[in-house]
Amino acid sequence: MPKKLISISEAAKQVGASIDTLRRWDKSYRLPSIRIGPRGHRFYNQEDINGFLRNDSSVAKQWAISPNAELLSSDVYCPTRDIFQARLEKLQSVLQGKTPDSSVSLLCAITGEIGNNSFDHNIGNWPDVGGVYFSYNLRNRNIVLADRGLGILKTLKRVKPELGNAGEALKAAFTETISGRFPEARGNGLKFVRSVITRNPFTLSFQTGDALLDLKEDDEDIVVSWVEEQIRGCIAVIGFELSI
Amino acid sequence: MIIELKKFGTTLVSRPSGKEAWLAFQPTLMDITENEEVVVDFDGVIVLTPSWADEFLTPLVARYKDKVKLRNTDNASTKATLDILGNIK
Repeated sequence: MPKKLISISEAAKQVGASIDTLRRWDKSYRLPSIRIGPRGHRFYNQEDINGFLRNDSSVAKQWAISPNAELLSSDVYCPTRDIFQARLEKLQSVLQGKTPDSSVSLLCAITGEIGNNSFDHNIGNWPDVGGVYFSYNLRNRNIVLADRGLGILKTLKRVKPELGNAGEALKAAFTETISGRFPEARGNGLKFVRSVITRNPFTLSFQTGDALLDLKEDDEDIVVSWVEEQIRGCIAVIGFELSI
Repeated sequence: MIIELKKFGTTLVSRPSGKEAWLAFQPTLMDITENEEVVVDFDGVIVLTPSWADEFLTPLVARYKDKVKLRNTDNASTKATLDILGNIK
């Protein structure tokens, strides 16, 4: 059976990006096209688009997990806080009109907290590659963040040496006002994230080390599970609904 | 004095930008007279996080205490932030 080809404008619509962005992704091989005709018009395999849309979180995870960080494309990699802030404001404008204003506000706030946490807790201490992976995908209704930082256990152990594993550290980060940046009085960030997720139609999957936390609306308890693939830093996937 | 937060930006997220706002605003705060109210107006703010607020609002409230009044706090992330910080009414 022949593969279904779609135009670049249809692909752009499905992916939630502009045609120019798709052209850039083609050049960087992030999402390669098929060139057809004498003028080389770009077409896309529907299957490729489906795969691309599915894989945002696995690209981030692969980056966070691999021993040597592969080079990320510049549209998802934020080496500095300023670049992260600019992309966060872009996310805000992309979400506007597609979900209630309150959801835009809250989703950007928790994304901002998680992304900035990576910078706050690793500045001057990045083990290899600094910065965060940050992408969002309206088709999959998710926002993905990842870092190759020290991870929550190592960060919080400085102030709470009794923490025995990544699960205990993850639980502490989401339930206690605690921060690895003693003596500064801070540490509300992930508690805020928890509070927003459990009071809204959002979901969160957050992994650090071999500990994974899944949260959704109305959850009262923090339940940590264990996963085989260990990551040193953190990866977070925020899920949301669109009202369009 | 009325402090219009939107003049610092409408996406108020990171600690460094909150800290910078606080430091940069010090000369203006010197104009506050002894019995003057310090009104913080959130009108126009689209995104606020506890990180930003903790660097700006927490020291503001610590310094001016009951003189600080908050206005137009109906934005969703503003409400959630004030809720988590707790010490700011």
